[in-house]
Amino acid sequence: MTDVDARAAMHLSDASVSVELETQGMTLNIGPQHPSTHGVLRLVAKVEGERVTSVQPVIGYMHRGYEKLSEVRTYAQITALVNRIDWVSGFANEIPWIRAVEKLMEIEVPERAQWIRLILSEMTRISSHLLFMSSYPLELGAATPLMYALREREYVMDLIESVTGGRFHPNFNRVGGVKPVAGGGSTQKKVSQDLPAGFFQGTREAMDRVDSVMDELDELVTGNEMIRARTIGVGVIPPEKAIEFGLSGPNARASGVDFDLRRDGEPYLPYDQVDFDVITEQTGDSFARYLVRKEEIRQAVRIVRQAIDTIKPGPLQAKVPRVLKVPKGQAYVRTENPKGEMGFYLISEGGRIPYRVKIRSASFCNLSILPWVLEGALVPDLVAIMGSLDFVLGDVDR
Amino acid sequence: MTDSPPDGDAVDDAADAVEAELEESGFAAELAALVAAPLWVDEFDTIRLYVARENWVDALRLARDEAGLTFFAWLSAVDWSTEVAVGEEVAEPDELIDRYEVVCRLSSVTSPRGAHFFTEVPKDDPVIDSVVSLFGGAEWHEREAAEMFGITFVGHPYPLKLYLPDSFQGFPLRKSYPLLSREVKPWPGTVDVESMPEAGGPSTANVEAGDTGGDE
Repeated sequence: MTDVDARAAMHLSDASVSVELETQGMTLNIGPQHPSTHGVLRLVAKVEGERVTSVQPVIGYMHRGYEKLSEVRTYAQITALVNRIDWVSGFANEIPWIRAVEKLMEIEVPERAQWIRLILSEMTRISSHLLFMSSYPLELGAATPLMYALREREYVMDLIESVTGGRFHPNFNRVGGVKPVAGGGSTQKKVSQDLPAGFFQGTREAMDRVDSVMDELDELVTGNEMIRARTIGVGVIPPEKAIEFGLSGPNARASGVDFDLRRDGEPYLPYDQVDFDVITEQTGDSFARYLVRKEEIRQAVRIVRQAIDTIKPGPLQAKVPRVLKVPKGQAYVRTENPKGEMGFYLISEGGRIPYRVKIRSASFCNLSILPWVLEGALVPDLVAIMGSLDFVLGDVDR
Repeated sequence: MTDSPPDGDAVDDAADAVEAELEESGFAAELAALVAAPLWVDEFDTIRLYVARENWVDALRLARDEAGLTFFAWLSAVDWSTEVAVGEEVAEPDELIDRYEVVCRLSSVTSPRGAHFFTEVPKDDPVIDSVVSLFGGAEWHEREAAEMFGITFVGHPYPLKLYLPDSFQGFPLRKSYPLLSREVKPWPGTVDVESMPEAGGPSTANVEAGDTGGDE
């Protein structure tokens, strides 16, 4: 905490300099195409000297209208859409959607399919967080960690691709289970080929690689004087504000909100059968958000290792009708995605097409705190704060 | 599984309320009493409470302060309409009252509890009080609901469009709003969407039972 106080005092002294100089206020337009915005986000910032007085984010450049498009597609077709919401964690997006459908149809998913979903979800978390571990130091001016993190991320992406056929957009979940390997035989037999040969061995190796690159990144980034100076005490979000703005996932946990849907939410996937820690930090600054993601990678590695030791052979797919008709009803299902709480509110009127789908995406809510948290920040800290929130514009605009 | 679940969206259907009350759900009943919700439904692990429009802000404040639902998850709307330009129609159009419903989900950060608060907004008077004063996070959600459904949120501090260009006409998520791409070109997946053959037919010949046909 003393570190934080020291940083805050330092910023105050900077501020007094600009106030004394009485610089004229100006409007600074950032984006929509700016490397730090992870897509197309425009910020209209009013600055006075080095201090931001107000920020109005302008979003919608990536708006594809998935809620409307979902109203004209069958349930199986929408799986391909939800992949593209948060495109760096495509597999994890499918889980809440497919579970919402399964909930209304009251389908029990076979255990093996659940474990495969869990393994791939956690791999997605690793790959999403590794992207953060590479891009965030880059935004702060450190280019080297990018090479380390992206290299190991590629091994994880290869594994996801070897199972699903897609690096980014797996489209792998089916209502009632997961897709079998092409030519793998019936999905309801006792043993059918699903995971490719050598998957477990490849996973163990990849997890060891991720663990060792995390050690390297620890040395490169966590203890780095420059990174600490730029992030500690910068962009502090108190827990009350995080809750009020609907921040979830690592961003909320960095503010001391000890809540993780894998542990505290409605039970989903066999998370209760694996050991893992929910990482929280108390300071709520940019550095805390970095620390939470860093440790979550290690926890995800832990979960994947346990899962590949636990998974047993079995059927992949529950029995579902050939033509999917979802009974009339309304259900909300949420899961802990790499970015936070992702949920689908599904209203079915009994047909083959949903009546209404409301998509609750994590980055949309995480980004909505931007005007509040950037108010009064220094211009150089703007990118540091924005990057620490780890948003994806596809997840914001939907 | 062929039995359809209890019908929950007919607001005036008292039988549903009775049926829902019989279900084991202490929290939903307590919450309904707290926020003075005349109708509530608890099915599919999803609690829905229907509150009066005048009571909207007070209900959410009570839920936040008294029931521990402090986490603002999302806010949106539903268009219940008999006039459907594209997509699925309601199951019983004769019984439907054309209306909007504004939905807000609040949840807890200390337990798995959460609830969806619904309120009815008539189509000829689509106005409702803003809850930005309660939850700062509601600002963007209300702007989205406003531009997508044409609902006015009274007291919103920044009532501009969120996603859509300022010059955009119409309200895309209304059921009466057509999907332009479907107007100019028929959907290539029509065969699958509109008229899947019940038996036989070349498109289902090699589809195993259980395959949802998503491999196109």
